[in-house]
Amino acid sequence: MNTRGRLWVLIGPPAIVLLAFFVLPMINMGSFSLRQGSFGAARQLWTIEHYRAFAANEAFQRLLLRSTWLALATSLLTVILAYPVAYHLAFKAGGRRMTLMMLLLVPAWTSFLLRILAWKLILGSEGLFSVALQALGLMQEPRPILLYTPTAVVVALVYSWLPFVALPIFAALQRIDVRLLEAAADLGCPPWRAFVRVTLPLSVPGVAAGFFFVFIPTLGEWVTPALVGGADGVMYGNIIQDQFARALNWPMGSLMSLVMLAAMLGLLGLLVGLARLLRLDLEVV
Amino acid sequence: MLSRRGWWRWLGMVLVLSSMLALLGCGRGDAEGLVVLDWSGYEQEVFWADFKAKHPDVPVEWTFFADDSEAYAKLQSGFKADLVHPNVSWLEIMVENDMLQPIDTSKLSNWGGIMEPLAKMGQVDGVQYLVPWEWGYDSILVRTDKVAEVPDSWADLWDPQYAGHVSILDSAEAAVVAASLALGYDPYALTDAQLASVKQKLIELKPNLLGYWSDYTEINQQIASGEVWVGANCWPDAYVAVAAAGVPVEYITPQEGRIAWVYGYAIPKGSANADLAHDYIDALISVESMAEMANQYGYGAANAEVAELTDPQLVELFNLDQPEVLSQSVFFQSLSEAQRAAWTQLWDEVKASQ
Repeated sequence: MNTRGRLWVLIGPPAIVLLAFFVLPMINMGSFSLRQGSFGAARQLWTIEHYRAFAANEAFQRLLLRSTWLALATSLLTVILAYPVAYHLAFKAGGRRMTLMMLLLVPAWTSFLLRILAWKLILGSEGLFSVALQALGLMQEPRPILLYTPTAVVVALVYSWLPFVALPIFAALQRIDVRLLEAAADLGCPPWRAFVRVTLPLSVPGVAAGFFFVFIPTLGEWVTPALVGGADGVMYGNIIQDQFARALNWPMGSLMSLVMLAAMLGLLGLLVGLARLLRLDLEVV
Repeated sequence: MLSRRGWWRWLGMVLVLSSMLALLGCGRGDAEGLVVLDWSGYEQEVFWADFKAKHPDVPVEWTFFADDSEAYAKLQSGFKADLVHPNVSWLEIMVENDMLQPIDTSKLSNWGGIMEPLAKMGQVDGVQYLVPWEWGYDSILVRTDKVAEVPDSWADLWDPQYAGHVSILDSAEAAVVAASLALGYDPYALTDAQLASVKQKLIELKPNLLGYWSDYTEINQQIASGEVWVGANCWPDAYVAVAAAGVPVEYITPQEGRIAWVYGYAIPKGSANADLAHDYIDALISVESMAEMANQYGYGAANAEVAELTDPQLVELFNLDQPEVLSQSVFFQSLSEAQRAAWTQLWDEVKASQ
């Protein structure tokens, strides 16, 4: 087989999967957002009324903004918490590295849903915190702690994403040539400064990968808010799901998904631009 | 760059792949078994024992939904089911969209026991499209040991003494009707101005809300654990389940009236197993199955004889022997597509606002 043929064999299958399950559905969604209704004759009619309705709907726009903040907070917190874990694994763990890595990863093998529901038990009125606070006499009545608030959503998500963010950061840290740090020390650089000037910049690709890995799915998240978010923890993804399953307004649901995608791409572009400005190398090798 | 020939090869591959996927999709849902699109909790074999006895070899499969609109969307988007279990308030819209086949009541040996007024609710333009099975209420379930005062109206949901301990069913229909009643409006004759105040009223409920509940195990647990003191739009089964666990609860009759519903089984147009589906319905509407349902869930049955076989306490509490109470309750009525869209849009905006 010639080189070109081999190339096609290699990229063909993933390209087809991408086309069939990503590109075509996206086109379909775009076209759906321009239909009048979800079923029957109304599906055949073209209109931009849903675009007008969304543009006029401040509640939905504000919710998108709030969800974006929530997703940003979740991603930042996860990165901040995952970094020391990854750092320890890469530089300090020594012979216990495999064991610690397993301890980090094994919980992530259980069902995502189960891990979220476990938080319901921990934060609930008969949960760990509530019982402990009562035992200490700090609380009289059994009460849920944080549960059914946006904070609970962030807590549960940070917990579930943590291992997935620690891994790319660990990979990036491991690639750092230790001789660079030795050189820094030789030249009189205190450890904290070597960290800021050498380690941190070189680990940026891992941090960026971890950050995007959390930010992108969190913005569209709806299971976690439905389970632990309560009345104020409703996210943009919950309303998209509602548009499809309950309101039966598929055009609006499609449009809301497209708007979310656009917002996400815009924000990612902004972040990448910022990184360029700071001369950070985002390339994940 | 892609050459012209390469492009055609590409397109060919995509077409082959997608037709393979389409064929895979066709393989399912053909003949052999019975597919029931239902709420969870109705799959228990005691409910359809007669069908099992008559057709021991026919496998029955369930797909569950948690909201009537979900079932509607599934059917509209091509899901092949042999039976569906909707609220009668959805019947008209389903028939209008040509989604159901008529029921041949002569094929149902237990049809004679179905009460006339309920049977009528399963008709559109005189044609029977739905066999009523159960009726019941949406009302308020209260943890009597947690509250200083037991609420006695829908308007009490807004009482600040319950702040943070109210949970309401995540359903536009239920929420709009409850808020309309609290405001003293007729939910099925709302003016635009009234609809706007219903929305405002529901937004004002948020400080009192712990959350929105969307399935019965969720609200049962929240009430049993004491996180929720006032559960809005709870069904009688929540009372039965939680009271059986020894939790002190009361299922109130609000001043404005309980909200009431009737559900039944219908056969979707696409079903190729209409005969089997009739047999399944016939098994469900036997007096024994209905009595099982009434005792387990505290719902009323579409057959008057069932009340005699039901726990007298439940009969008294829910007036199960007098379906005429339904006419004194606030019924979930048929909504046009436009009305439904307006209500669900309103509810989504309420949930999105803060």
